[in-house]
Amino acid sequence: MDESSSQNQIGGGIPSSSATNRQNLDEATPRVQYSIPGILHFIQHEWARFEMERSQWELEKAELQAKIAFLNGERTGQENLKNDLVRRIKMLEYALKQERAKYHKLKFGSDLVQGSGEPPPGLLDDLGDDAGRLDGGIGDTSASILSCTASNASWKQSRQLLRQYLQEIGYTDTIIDIRSNRVRSLLGISGGEGSGEEGTGGGGTAPTINGGSELTAAKRPADQTPLRWTQPKKSMTSLEAQIKDAEKAVLENFDFLASEADMEVDDDDDDDDQEEEDEMNRMKGAQNLDGDEEGDAVDSLDQDFRYLSGSADLEDGSAAAAAGFGSRGVFVGGGGGPVGGEEDALEGLGELAQLTVTNEADTAYDISSSKETYRKTWSAKYTLRSHFDGVRALCFHPSEQALITASEDATLKLWNLQKTVPAKKSLSLDVEPVYTFRGHMGPVLCLAITGDGEKCFSAGLDGDIRIWNVPSINVDPYDSYESSVELGSLSGHLDAVWGLCCHPHRPQLLSCSSDNTVRLWSPQPLRAPLLSTYHLLKDGVPTSVDFVYESSNQFVTSFDTANCVIYDLETGKPVTRLDTDSADSSNTGSNLTRQINKVVSHPTLPLTITAHEDRHIRFWDNHTGQLVQSMVAHLDSVTSLATDANGLYLLSGSHDCSIRLWQLDSKQCVQEITAHRKKFDESIFDVAFHPTKAFIASAGADALAKVFV
Amino acid sequence: MKMADQTVILRRNRAGTKAENFYKWADEAYEEMDSTLVVQQFIQQSIRRSHTNIDAILAAPETQDEGVWKYEHLRQFCMELNGLAVRLQGECQPATCTQMTATEQWIFLCAAHKTPKECPAIDYTRHTLDGAACLLNSNKYFPSRVSIKESSVAKLGSVCRRVYRIFSHAYFHHRKIFDQFEASSSLCKRFTVFVTKYSLMSRDNLIVPILDEELVPQQGGESQA
Repeated sequence: MDESSSQNQIGGGIPSSSATNRQNLDEATPRVQYSIPGILHFIQHEWARFEMERSQWELEKAELQAKIAFLNGERTGQENLKNDLVRRIKMLEYALKQERAKYHKLKFGSDLVQGSGEPPPGLLDDLGDDAGRLDGGIGDTSASILSCTASNASWKQSRQLLRQYLQEIGYTDTIIDIRSNRVRSLLGISGGEGSGEEGTGGGGTAPTINGGSELTAAKRPADQTPLRWTQPKKSMTSLEAQIKDAEKAVLENFDFLASEADMEVDDDDDDDDQEEEDEMNRMKGAQNLDGDEEGDAVDSLDQDFRYLSGSADLEDGSAAAAAGFGSRGVFVGGGGGPVGGEEDALEGLGELAQLTVTNEADTAYDISSSKETYRKTWSAKYTLRSHFDGVRALCFHPSEQALITASEDATLKLWNLQKTVPAKKSLSLDVEPVYTFRGHMGPVLCLAITGDGEKCFSAGLDGDIRIWNVPSINVDPYDSYESSVELGSLSGHLDAVWGLCCHPHRPQLLSCSSDNTVRLWSPQPLRAPLLSTYHLLKDGVPTSVDFVYESSNQFVTSFDTANCVIYDLETGKPVTRLDTDSADSSNTGSNLTRQINKVVSHPTLPLTITAHEDRHIRFWDNHTGQLVQSMVAHLDSVTSLATDANGLYLLSGSHDCSIRLWQLDSKQCVQEITAHRKKFDESIFDVAFHPTKAFIASAGADALAKVFV
Repeated sequence: MKMADQTVILRRNRAGTKAENFYKWADEAYEEMDSTLVVQQFIQQSIRRSHTNIDAILAAPETQDEGVWKYEHLRQFCMELNGLAVRLQGECQPATCTQMTATEQWIFLCAAHKTPKECPAIDYTRHTLDGAACLLNSNKYFPSRVSIKESSVAKLGSVCRRVYRIFSHAYFHHRKIFDQFEASSSLCKRFTVFVTKYSLMSRDNLIVPILDEELVPQQGGESQA
């Protein structure tokens, strides 16, 4: 009010001589400018300032929130990873236990089947857990499943239930048994039981386990195996269609069994084992299985089993186990081919996955989903420049960060990825070779390295296969010449050698040549290295060769006629002829355009993968020879394939200048990388996975090789 | 693609190709090559046609940049010299050829080491070829195979001088191997014509008498070693 009054005074324009008045005047002089627009302007200015500050704060807040979200995401990522790893650990633990139990049983099978004591708590944590949960749910499970299976109409419903229970109890003994019965009945080995479903259904009402108990008990660990396969994906009819293979698979598995039966069981009195046995029995008891049928099944499988005369020392228990293995074979064969969504976890386990299976049925889904989220993206890191002409082949050292390349410039080069040259661009590093192998007189076309990384083999247009001692990867590139690096050569082929394959565990080398032969060598004693020559004239010119890793004594060869055949290593006779004639004929060119450029065998599954000139990659079932899947994979002919050591991913290279990474279970392309340039109409000759480290590599006609991490 | 298959020859050495058919496809005109490796393709194509027709091999297409032309030829020489090195590996022992010599006039020191040293002839050969491979593939000096800096082209002369010593050593100490190799590739003759044509080496250094007298039979095989 004072102010306003003084303003009024000033406004009045009355001059005053009093001190106070003068003071007022002095103070008031600037106030004269407080006009309405001035105030408004001031307020607007202030408001704008506040607004700006607010928006800054908001920005800051958003930033912090983003950071929080990012960190949260990272955390969940880590957690998922951790869960994933824990799962894997559990799986492995469980697998180990299973193995122990199995060995125990093979030796003392009949001794242990009668007991059914409670497991001491705490000894077998997760197994006990599962078993406990199983105890609760198992009666229901079997009952409902058994009744449901009475007709095909209710099959779907039971499948739903199955899934539910799988998730709930994570333990599926009953299911496996039922399915094994079902398959057996389909196989026609269940005697006069009528149809399998009815038989099983009848069995479901039988209240107790009968004479077949020891068989079922012994069978259990084996039965667990097919768990993943048997998750109902296929209809019964398709199962029927594959029965033949199943039988074959049964027989094949006996070999494996024989060796296993001979193995010593180390820890016989192990509490864990005992307990596990007991538990098995208990669970079996709860399943109310029809013993007669079980017995019949085992009998008939036993007949098959006689093929195994060599392993005469098998006892009853182990025989029963053998039957169990047989049924495993059935499932592997009959599970609708090796391609299923659930493969992921299995493949993650590698070898082990074939022997035992996890206790949690849904693990597969979890793992695959977590993989989906935290998938690695590969990027070019090393460029390997030193060759003068196209790089035809490359292979990684099995354990070191090193690789060998083979080129049309007639040399091989050894590269140590840890010895890099700083390059202009920081993104990729240049590597210089640490050693150059000189010995070939013409283009080198193929390359293979032994499992221990000590020797490598190369072959090319001159038809000789050369053997090399792989020098230390820390060798001085300008050291003096050591003639001991060259170990000699394997002569025999009369024309260009296009494919070499060295078995990772056995001293065996396969080579295929355009002289229409495939040869098997034993490069260890150099006196008589040639073991066999397979003349394959009628199928065409062999283009690529690989061992079949899933079976011990077979190899697969592809031809320029698009044929692809699995042969027996001993006899040289065809075992399975992949049905390439009826393969989708969307591209009906001449034989040349459908030619197979590369064939690889899956490291663990009975699956063969072929790369075709007609841009396709095709997947084949080794047992049936049937096409599993065919896909247009590239824009130009596919030249090379590689699978990682676990069989989870497939890498393909093509003359369209790109390499592609595929997830093997879903057959989805995960990544595409344009890697090389064209020389004439060729671009990429070879791709490779490092067997133990996270590296992939490609070799191109532009004389470069690239390594991706 | 299917259309293209029918109209265009795909120049590919598919797996299973017999040795005699390797690279045996219809020649492609220089103008039609659209790859970044066109010069290499063109040179190799001319050599495969006939390795004795040196003038044709060294005749650059009109539009061709001379630096790249020289560079690609030198790459090709170093690559083919590998064939001579392989042959020498069998005979040229460190014990017998303790130094890289041609005539008694010079001992060549190996430049691959930090301080040049007297490597045995076979080591000199290998080191020189390895060093040439590194230099010619160096991302620093030759980042592109389509255009090359003038300063990098200057490096080609020293590579030529060094690799020529392999010819001269073979000629004066392993004549049989030299003659065999020359018969199959005419490489030394082509190299001599090449360095003369582009003045990459002085005439004094060209001590192998290959142009003046026709010492070497010219009806070699087709191998391109």
